[in-house]
Amino acid sequence: MHIMEGFLPAGHALAWTAISTPFVVAGVRRLKRILADNPQARLPLAAAAGFTFILSALKLPSVTGSCSHPTGTGLGAMMFGPSVMAVLGAVVLLFQGLLLAHGGVTTLGANIFSMAIAGPWVAYGVWKLSDRLGLPAAIGVFLSAFLGDLATYVVTSTQLALAFPDAETGFAGALAKFASIFAVTQAPLAVAEGLVTVVVINALTARGQMHGLGEKA
Amino acid sequence: MTLHMDRLAQGGPWRQRALAEKAVLALGLLGLALVLPPWPGAALVLVAAWTSALAAARIPWGDWLRLNAAPLGFVLTGAAAVAVEIGPDGITLAADHGRAALAIVLRASAAASCLLLLAATTPTPDLVQGLRRLGLPVELIEIMLLTWRFIFLLQDAAASIRNAQEARLGWHGRGRSLRSLGLLIAQLLPQAMERARRLEMGMAARGFDGTLRLARPHRRVSAISMISIISLHLVLAGTCLWLA
Repeated sequence: MHIMEGFLPAGHALAWTAISTPFVVAGVRRLKRILADNPQARLPLAAAAGFTFILSALKLPSVTGSCSHPTGTGLGAMMFGPSVMAVLGAVVLLFQGLLLAHGGVTTLGANIFSMAIAGPWVAYGVWKLSDRLGLPAAIGVFLSAFLGDLATYVVTSTQLALAFPDAETGFAGALAKFASIFAVTQAPLAVAEGLVTVVVINALTARGQMHGLGEKA
Repeated sequence: MTLHMDRLAQGGPWRQRALAEKAVLALGLLGLALVLPPWPGAALVLVAAWTSALAAARIPWGDWLRLNAAPLGFVLTGAAAVAVEIGPDGITLAADHGRAALAIVLRASAAASCLLLLAATTPTPDLVQGLRRLGLPVELIEIMLLTWRFIFLLQDAAASIRNAQEARLGWHGRGRSLRSLGLLIAQLLPQAMERARRLEMGMAARGFDGTLRLARPHRRVSAISMISIISLHLVLAGTCLWLA
């Protein structure tokens, strides 16, 4: 869920940019190391970023009837790891803002934090945890993509509630308002993305391509 | 296949203008939209951005309206949350009668128009080259340029797979659509990696050392244009402070 250009007040936009910057800088350092060790990784990484962008242009049939698109947060974290996703996500979010008018430049920091940092780390953590708990792979993948998506939506609602606290009930009331309004579209979207990600991982595993892709990127 | 925004940027009359002029105009207006009070500041910025886009950059009306409509869904839903309050009586209209929500809609619409003005007049590779001059790491710039290329390749591949699926009624019904989308993504990802591998081999064979050098026609920044743009910003800021 992208926060649109100009939606956040200047102070909040700056603060979220400052919070996201260290993650992106760390990701760029990791990217530089990857490229220094393995210059051939340049094109697979760009392909991964292009792929994540294209996901946002694919329509996802939602349970409520509204049409939305997959975020690729969980899939990206599972395939490429969450630290690289911070950089690839930042590039994709910038291109989405410039080419699709999804998000923006002043809200880039806030969107990077929700979709390229919080979402991938939650998805990755859940995936690793489910593996350690010995859950069936399909359930682990579903939970990872579902909760990764849900995390981005909760973080976005928190960002909006911090920016626009309710006059009566403050931050908590505003969070309840934003979370419930966006839940109408985001909760079914998270379920649909979880299901689609299971189909994707199943198909890749069946073809023996899951391991190789992770290694390349 | 092309993206609508890219088509406008590549074919528009402002394609030949210097990046610095377009960036200072659009980003300057964007900054004003954020820091000036929404009324009358954002309203003035909105008028300036729309006039620049429609009269100066000659973006067709239909395209411009369609571009501006895209962010409205989020802006209106978000503003609706600000316009209501949750109290003991349930959900009621906010005490300010939605004035804060209106201010948000005005500011966000103005800011979005400024970004659209830049995006619809400047192709993305030009902007990426501008970021390189601002000192962004060269590795990141290369990944950005290659990503931009992959977007179009993968868009074509996704469209072909989707056409084939639709021809087999793969998108008939919700369950089948979800499965088809999953299969499309599963098909697209290895295709993306395979294309990357082939492209990498081809470029390595031609001595690719990781640096992408693009032919960039030199566009001189016009001092008159720059002075006019900065004057416009100052006039807008002054008018806003005078009216407020």
